[in-house]
Amino acid sequence: MIANAEALLKPLTIKGMTIRNRVMSTSHAPSFGKDGKPQERYQLYHEEKAKGGIGLTMFGGSSSVSLDSPAAPWNQISVADDSVIPFFQQFSDRVHQHGAKLMIQLTHMGRRTKWDTENWFPVKSASVTREPASRSVSKELEQEEIDRIVRDFAQAARRAREGGLDGCEISAAHGHLVDQFWSQLSNHRTDKYGGSLENRMRFGIEVLTAMRESAGDDYIIGMRMSGDELLKGGLTAEDLIAIASEYASRGLVDFLNVVGGQARDHIAHAVSLPNMSFPVAPYLPIASAVKREVDIPIFHAQRVTDLATGARAVAEGHVDMIAMTRAHIADPHLIKKLTEGRADDIRQCVGYGYCIDRIYIGKDALCIQNAATGREATMPHVIEKADVKKRAVVVGGGVGGLEAARVLAERGHEVTLFEKTDKLGGQVLTAAKATWREALTGIPRWLVGQVQKLGVDIRLNTEADDAAIFALSPDIVIVATGGLPHLGEAMGSEHAISTWDVLEGKVEPSGTVLLYDEMGDHNAASTAEHLAKKGCLVELATHDRMIGEEIGGTNQPVHLRELYNLGVIQTPNMELIEIYPEGNRKIAALRNVMTHQEEERVVDYVVVDYGTHPVDQLHFALKEKSKNAGFVDNDAIVAGKPQPYETNGSGQRDGFTLYRVGDVLAGRNIHAAIYDALRLCKDL
Amino acid sequence: MGAAAFLPYIVVAMALVAAVQIGRRVALWRLGQSAKVDWLAGVKAMPKRYLVDVHHVVDRDKSASRMHVPVAGGLVLSGALLLLGLIPAVASSRLYWTIVTLAFAFMAVGVALVAQRRYPHALPRLSLGRYQRTPFYLAAFAGGGLLTSLLAALGDPLPFLSLLSLIVAAAGGLALAAQAATGPMRHALAGAAHLALHPRPERFDATLPKGRSTSLKPIDLDGDKLGREDPADFAWNRLLSFDACVQCGRCEAACPAFAAGQPLSPKHLIADLAAAGGGGYGSPYAGNPYPNARPTGSEIGLHHAVIGDGGIVHPDTIWSCTTCRACVEECPMMIEHVDSIIDLRRFQTLEMGAVPGKGADVLDNTRLADEPNGHPLSERTDFAGGLGLRTLAAGESTEVLLWLGQAAFDLRGQRTLRALIRLLNEAGVDFAVLGEAERDCGDLARRLGDEASFQQLAKANIEALASVGFERILTADPHALHSLRNEYSAFGGKFDVVHHTAFLNELVETGRLTTGHIAGHAITYHDPCYLGRYNGEFDAPRTLLDALGLERREMARSKRKSMCCGGGGGAPTTDIPGDNRIPDIRMGQVRETGAKTVAVACPQCTAMLEGVTGDRAEVKDIAELLLDAVEAGKSAKSRNKGMQRELELA
Repeated sequence: MIANAEALLKPLTIKGMTIRNRVMSTSHAPSFGKDGKPQERYQLYHEEKAKGGIGLTMFGGSSSVSLDSPAAPWNQISVADDSVIPFFQQFSDRVHQHGAKLMIQLTHMGRRTKWDTENWFPVKSASVTREPASRSVSKELEQEEIDRIVRDFAQAARRAREGGLDGCEISAAHGHLVDQFWSQLSNHRTDKYGGSLENRMRFGIEVLTAMRESAGDDYIIGMRMSGDELLKGGLTAEDLIAIASEYASRGLVDFLNVVGGQARDHIAHAVSLPNMSFPVAPYLPIASAVKREVDIPIFHAQRVTDLATGARAVAEGHVDMIAMTRAHIADPHLIKKLTEGRADDIRQCVGYGYCIDRIYIGKDALCIQNAATGREATMPHVIEKADVKKRAVVVGGGVGGLEAARVLAERGHEVTLFEKTDKLGGQVLTAAKATWREALTGIPRWLVGQVQKLGVDIRLNTEADDAAIFALSPDIVIVATGGLPHLGEAMGSEHAISTWDVLEGKVEPSGTVLLYDEMGDHNAASTAEHLAKKGCLVELATHDRMIGEEIGGTNQPVHLRELYNLGVIQTPNMELIEIYPEGNRKIAALRNVMTHQEEERVVDYVVVDYGTHPVDQLHFALKEKSKNAGFVDNDAIVAGKPQPYETNGSGQRDGFTLYRVGDVLAGRNIHAAIYDALRLCKDL
Repeated sequence: MGAAAFLPYIVVAMALVAAVQIGRRVALWRLGQSAKVDWLAGVKAMPKRYLVDVHHVVDRDKSASRMHVPVAGGLVLSGALLLLGLIPAVASSRLYWTIVTLAFAFMAVGVALVAQRRYPHALPRLSLGRYQRTPFYLAAFAGGGLLTSLLAALGDPLPFLSLLSLIVAAAGGLALAAQAATGPMRHALAGAAHLALHPRPERFDATLPKGRSTSLKPIDLDGDKLGREDPADFAWNRLLSFDACVQCGRCEAACPAFAAGQPLSPKHLIADLAAAGGGGYGSPYAGNPYPNARPTGSEIGLHHAVIGDGGIVHPDTIWSCTTCRACVEECPMMIEHVDSIIDLRRFQTLEMGAVPGKGADVLDNTRLADEPNGHPLSERTDFAGGLGLRTLAAGESTEVLLWLGQAAFDLRGQRTLRALIRLLNEAGVDFAVLGEAERDCGDLARRLGDEASFQQLAKANIEALASVGFERILTADPHALHSLRNEYSAFGGKFDVVHHTAFLNELVETGRLTTGHIAGHAITYHDPCYLGRYNGEFDAPRTLLDALGLERREMARSKRKSMCCGGGGGAPTTDIPGDNRIPDIRMGQVRETGAKTVAVACPQCTAMLEGVTGDRAEVKDIAELLLDAVEAGKSAKSRNKGMQRELELA
């Protein structure tokens, strides 16, 4: 039970439509669109939230109303013609059957998109400007184009209504066309759309007025907007409250979905999509300030990761609906678990940003810790019981092993989990020791809570060998022994220490440190921050074109900001070729990968990150004795079918099947380990 | 004949002494308030009430019935026979004395059985003191009488021994008679009179539904004094009922508050109420003391307050009661403890404003917001958002009116209600709720003594119910069920009210709901007091559970003897401290069965049992279990269908 739960569970009625509770998911772009339509994958993803008790789920972040606002770069939805309506109808039926409401976001992205895709139209905006984030220079809209886009919005609203959607919002946040008109940074016009705030508001007013006319006055239309762009020269809280009041008092909008920030460049983008370095609900005061001035319901999202925070926000009257979008990606059954008295079973979003970071590099949104999200067609959020109870042994208590133990126990099997150390969580615990990355511990914390609750026999401080495993006469053995850091191929690599040595406190460097990174991920960047905070003078060198090249768009700017603030020297395009000691110090030789010119550094410590190599001795000790030689059947696993060794004739033979999950196969990431475990074990 | 000839005169003397004694009590009873009593019907019904109703209860303790038949039967028989001995012709017959001997022998057997219950160690629930001495008087009378009449039957061969035994018999008999008003023997006449003149004669009518005789009676709110303050405020036949108590302690053994170490023993309270009237009954109480007894005064008198102001009962005693009726159910003398406790509470609440703990808050809320926790009534249906729950406007109709009750405001209760609503939807039941027009049923206010709020709520609810059309009221709350079904009728609200367990059982039995099996673990069922003891519903929940394929284990205390969860009568709000908590004790009884789940059928029981900390059984309402089973059935069906399809494709 959480405090103020009743505030969250109170229905909200807008224009006669009742939303069953105060928890929602805002429109976002998971990159699940197909051919510009929300098809099965997209629908199932939202249906799961509806099943999980959510009040309102909004989909289609940045759904395009016009051909010159391409949907393709985001694998998003085009509402520019009537062919989308049947998909909306199917979608709304699917969500409505579980009692939830469904709305869409409609927008014209203006300059915040690409010209070199889909229909190859130039990007358009109020004026000729360039947005750093999209890297596009816009064409200034002429009156005819403005009128056409206004009509496009109106048609899109009609399509939403005809598709059975419960409402829609326009996006006037994050620098879309409507707020491009509002802001003097992007609107330099001298006609009736530029100059005074009144003029700059005109385009949005025309859009909403036309939408009302075409969709009907009784249709719910809202607006997503910033409450403070937090940007030099951008729209201030006063400007935006004035806009909100004007639009609301004209009856143009039925709700406002308020965010903080703007997202025009990398760091602004990271600030608008706060990751785990931010406190929980950092921009609630911004939404609350708007709420104070307008009489229509206020929605708000941004790192509201737990129900207690959401409940407080609603109970104290800051907002009317609390949006827990990423929280639902981590666990789509939030409300169901709350109302069933199982709030402790909620898998809480840790703010990793894996979901959102993937979409900016053209991948689909996936959750770092919940491998079923976005894969509802094949991966279950609720594990079904197996028909036959088996004995399973899982070796390794990292997240892969924990997920395997959890899923096997949910299947009803008798599970024993061996962990060599005195803690469960594996590498994630190491990563979490680096400064703002501590929220990572939430991932193993949930898994540990679940396996304990499910009665898994957990044996800490116990290194499993084949004798200990055979003593349990298992049917299934899962080896999740993970990996250990590799010190690389440079000459004299034995003089280096790993990022793990630093984070786990095995070595406590001081003085000057060269940190060499071959991975481009969080590991090196966060270790550099950790060392710099301890007083080291750190140079972070990498083979890549820049520091943290693999780190996603909402996280990398935070790392860079920290590295700059801490005075870490960033040296890209260098390869570490040799380390040798000189007195108490070390000489590190670096070679520029572009010019092949070599340089030397005299430092106190050389720290390296080359990722991990598998710890697979146990696997190979068991391999010959297993029924399946330790292999997963790839065809079966891709098809989401049970492993053949479990079901065909060989399953009748005595002995056990052996599988590997996680980094024992090859060093990858948390999601890979968890997905390995889930997709295998759900059918065992 | 010798000494035996005097035996009849001893009986006459005993009768005279007893009559004088009893007369003092009668005189005292007469000072109580008037009560409407149908004397003729009562007296006529008395033998049946004694032989059937009383015997049913007494016989639950076989050692008691086996003891009581010979000892009481022998005493009455020998006494009656000896009165015949006043006729000289009879008294000279040796055959007559042989018969008298047999009667005494019969009684002597009974006396031996009485003694067995008390020596060498008395059953813990029994009172000591005079009660512990009574077997000696009985033995003296029976033994003395037996020997005297035996010697007479043998032709009086040993006159000195006859005389001696006559003296023993006289001593025992007169000792019994002398305490006919103040000692254990008082129960005989008071008990008989109580049966005939009982304040709730309807409880003896087996043709009436159980709830008819368990409802509280309204009081006139315009009266000079609300509730009962001193003994003289009680009706005369209530005063009489206190005297009927034989201090057997069955009530005490059944009382959950006593078990939890709260300062309540129903037996002690009844003894106190009898003593409070004065009339020579102030002698020390020799039963178990009130657990953790609070200090009280010692002033008694018909017109002296029982509670406070030097009175002999501490207020914590009456506020410890959960109104579970276990005491009433167990009382072989048919005493109505709960009625008196509520009468005393009414005075404390309405005249003194002395409700302890959070009780005052919930009553304030009830008065101001028509709801004990002050929730706006408009929020009662909040939990059902998205379930498509229909609210009736005035003039609209439905087949089944769903009475949501207080559970609708509680996260846990909402789970049960949601399960119930989904089952009703599944079965295609035409149902709706009153919405904002549903006020609290008033059970809590009434049990806390706030009769005024109860009556106000009852009238308002009756008016709301009259404004819509329905055939039946359905509720998952036994407290609401009891109020609506049995207590609203006094205000003109006559409704057909059904509990959800009975209703769901109907749906399953008529095939409107198809259940799968959720076998796999054992469950036990906890009878809610207001469903079981108050309304006699023990079977429907069990039939329903059995239909789910669950292994049902019974707790040692179940059905009529079920132990309260601690949640009734406003006890959780007054929260009188004891040694431990009632729900913890009840959960311990659940644990003894080894069941992993305890099935419940009342939101109050759910809340109390779920409040038990540590390792405990899962608490699930029967509606939740049924929903699980219905869904298990559906998914099994769809799995089968899937398999069927695959086979067809193959």
